[in-house]
Amino acid sequence: MILLFALAIGLPFGLGWARWHNHTYSAPDLRFTWLAVIAFLPQLVIAYLPATHQLINNGLASVSLLGSLALFFVFAWLNRSLPGMPILIVGLLLNFVVIIANGGWMPISPQTANLLAGKDILQLMNLGSRLGEKDILLLTQNTHFEFLADRFVLPAWLPYKTAFSLGDILIGLGAFWLLAKPTTKLNSLCTESVFE
Amino acid sequence: MKNKIVRFAFFAGKINRQHIQLAFSILALAMLVLGIGAPTGSTNPGPH
Repeated sequence: MILLFALAIGLPFGLGWARWHNHTYSAPDLRFTWLAVIAFLPQLVIAYLPATHQLINNGLASVSLLGSLALFFVFAWLNRSLPGMPILIVGLLLNFVVIIANGGWMPISPQTANLLAGKDILQLMNLGSRLGEKDILLLTQNTHFEFLADRFVLPAWLPYKTAFSLGDILIGLGAFWLLAKPTTKLNSLCTESVFE
Repeated sequence: MKNKIVRFAFFAGKINRQHIQLAFSILALAMLVLGIGAPTGSTNPGPH
């Protein structure tokens, strides 16, 4: 959910920037959006819908996750000319590499998971168990490309705790930039009409 | 009731193609970042 925050601040930033410079604001001209919908459907089932994510075994779920990421890569590549998309593609590839290298899931160490749970996570679950939507609990020494894993956390004084990867940071930056620095063109959406 | 219908028609008339395009773009971007990102939040650290 932290990545949606990048979109939530990118849009008002873009609208404000356009208004400040007396420009028109246009939404990023994404092509092949149907591909994003198709790519998201498997993840909706295996990761985001509480009613269905336990119904599918881990093997099939990880294959579906990889297939979904591959489709998302095609979608992002087809839209690579948009501002911010190249950064987002690099983030996607970093996450893709670490997920492939670790059996189809994003690794997270028990130390990092403890920071989220506030207690010894190994008392609750075993190593190799799925954690959250796409993560798997792995010891650091058993993790491939550990520097690309979910190893960063937000400052402790923030009420929302989350662990994220280097790829996630780039994805957030790219998503922010996609909405904050859109293409400006004639006959596009006026900022005034959005604020009305 | 008539007032509400008039008000709805007024706001519906202000929705143009660009508004719809913006809504679809944001929806597609939301699916994209949720799909390719893999953060784990404190709301969902539990085992599955």
